[in-house]
Amino acid sequence: MSKVKMSKDICYSLLHASRKAFSNVKVSISNQWTPSSLNASSSIVDPNSTWNGNHLFPDADSATIFLGLLDTIFLFSYAVGLFISGIIGDRLNMRYVLTFGMCSSAVTMFVFGTLTEWLHFYNKLFYCFMWVINGLLQSTGWPCVVAVMGNWFGKSGRGLVFGLWSACASVGNILGAFLASSVLKYGYEYAFLVTACVQFAGGVIIFFGLVTSPKELGLPDTGEEEGAFGDQEEEANRPLISEDNEVDSDASYSVQAPDTDSTPKAIGFVQACCLPGVLLYSLAYACLKLVNYSFFFWLPFYLSTTFHWKEAEADQLSIWYDIGGIIGGTIQGFISDLMQKRSPVLAISLVCAIGSLFGYSRSPNNKPLNAFIMTITGFFIGGPSNMISSAISADLGRQEMVRGSSEALATVTGIVDGTGSMGAALGQVLVSVIQEGLSWMWVFYFFILMTFLTLLFIIPLIIRELRPVWGNRRMSRLAG
Amino acid sequence: MAAVFVVVLMSAVLGLRAQEEMEICGLCPGNVRNSSQVTYLCSETSGAELVGRCCVKPSGGDIIGLDLWNCSISLLDPGLRLTAAILVLDISQNPLQDLRQEFFQGLTGLRYLALPGNISCPGGNQAWASVESELDSRICQDQQSACNRTGDIAVLCPENSLCAPDGPGYTQCVCADGFSGYKCLREGSFPLLVFFGILASVTVTLSVLLWCTQRKKVKSL
Repeated sequence: MSKVKMSKDICYSLLHASRKAFSNVKVSISNQWTPSSLNASSSIVDPNSTWNGNHLFPDADSATIFLGLLDTIFLFSYAVGLFISGIIGDRLNMRYVLTFGMCSSAVTMFVFGTLTEWLHFYNKLFYCFMWVINGLLQSTGWPCVVAVMGNWFGKSGRGLVFGLWSACASVGNILGAFLASSVLKYGYEYAFLVTACVQFAGGVIIFFGLVTSPKELGLPDTGEEEGAFGDQEEEANRPLISEDNEVDSDASYSVQAPDTDSTPKAIGFVQACCLPGVLLYSLAYACLKLVNYSFFFWLPFYLSTTFHWKEAEADQLSIWYDIGGIIGGTIQGFISDLMQKRSPVLAISLVCAIGSLFGYSRSPNNKPLNAFIMTITGFFIGGPSNMISSAISADLGRQEMVRGSSEALATVTGIVDGTGSMGAALGQVLVSVIQEGLSWMWVFYFFILMTFLTLLFIIPLIIRELRPVWGNRRMSRLAG
Repeated sequence: MAAVFVVVLMSAVLGLRAQEEMEICGLCPGNVRNSSQVTYLCSETSGAELVGRCCVKPSGGDIIGLDLWNCSISLLDPGLRLTAAILVLDISQNPLQDLRQEFFQGLTGLRYLALPGNISCPGGNQAWASVESELDSRICQDQQSACNRTGDIAVLCPENSLCAPDGPGYTQCVCADGFSGYKCLREGSFPLLVFFGILASVTVTLSVLLWCTQRKKVKSL
């Protein structure tokens, strides 16, 4: 089973790697797209073909704006793609969908970054077009991977497993940064070539190695009875899961008819939206992912403009936010596993997030202190964000209402993450507008408002989740 | 196959260029004067021969000397394409009114230039080691690189490139050793073979390994 997990880990980190690669080669790309801007007033550097041959953009600033636009375009098409690929993932074999998604998006990366450079074909519209396609294709990754993970890990262990697993995205970020930076000196086209090829290879490996669900091996569906595949080679995950399993075994939803023989029918999109909790969590996630992504993308820029720290330093420092998010996701996931409740953990974390955002906006010009507050902010914002997008999505897609009768996992994940990515895409635009028009302080107030909105959307879910506990404390799993 | 094609194409282009250049040699009637620097150059250089008004080095057919003395040229034809190989150029005794600077861009080898007396040396006097004004001609000798000239605005080259002379008064920024491509951003060459070798073997190994340990047990539903 650890191998199953590994292959999924590889898959998602590779997708993330290719995304991160793009942000790392931005400087090289904008260099390639512009003529030399060595003091336009003074001398023009000769020979022309070497220094001023490319006039796609007059200067680095407009190239940067275009690259920012590409980011936004990517996020929007990624969001739209998530809705679609979730639906597809539930209907077709997820192994094929994942393989197709990874390989084809690798090809678009190759065409975008490498082929255009080799052919010296520079065209803004073509770049936009390729990036939209890439966003759509990359979106196949998340819902399918979460669905596969959800198939393998029961509800009780999900919080922790997903929390740990969200570290993969960061591993991917580091891998992407490493791959890109190590070949960047040969030219940015090789950064694209390498990440595209590695991603393509990952797709091939997934095709040969991925078992999408225990059912494929003739094992009973997880959901509850993880112990059933104890005969599989398992390493670190095994004890944790079986431990939780005992707690879980008396849960009311664990009684379920074995459905190994029935071929589940996929759930409809509208039907999936109407599942309890899906819509509210989607909206909550839209607000939260907006804050989370904006932090992720704008933090280095904020640091270098506000505190005048060097860009490389700001880049390195902003990793602390990621680290906070991973720790937060894991610990909060673990706590929510123990509590058998996720929304109260989310709510507490979000209340703390508002406080830490307020604190961070007043952070002094001091690197260790700033990194510390950043880590805390990451803990309280990145943590819940990771949890909603993975563990909670998986819970929602495998809740009692759909259990056994249909496949909803990928569709629900697609809806939650798709709405979230829409929010993130909008946030990219809004942050740049607010930052230009008002000031960074207002950006933070905007973040606080969004976090507060997330909290509002969560409140009905807490009430719903806690009502049975209040009603019948004897049944509470906290007692166990 | 492709390489052969490229070679054929290149030799065709070179041949065409050489032919074009040779036309310059017949531009003016008569042969090179015996007192001309071009004659002297040709006798000094081994293997070089006089063709019309030119001194040509047979390997590649580059013109290394051109004497257009007393040719009634009133305008230097921009189509008159000379290469960096030219060492000696004599256009004195011609009714030239002014000289187009750009004509000399790229003529890095030029070390002796004879002009009509009314025209100053291209790139200014500081571009040459010695400028002699005679009765009706001006002789500019030994180009000075504009790169390490003091006093004037120092030529700054972008990262990874070095300043190099590019004809009298001109400079260019050439990629430093090991750098290449647009803006000299690329360093070295990507080890394509090694990369694909490693990637392919890792992919195949992992695929086989995972197939055997994972998917072999899969029952077709």
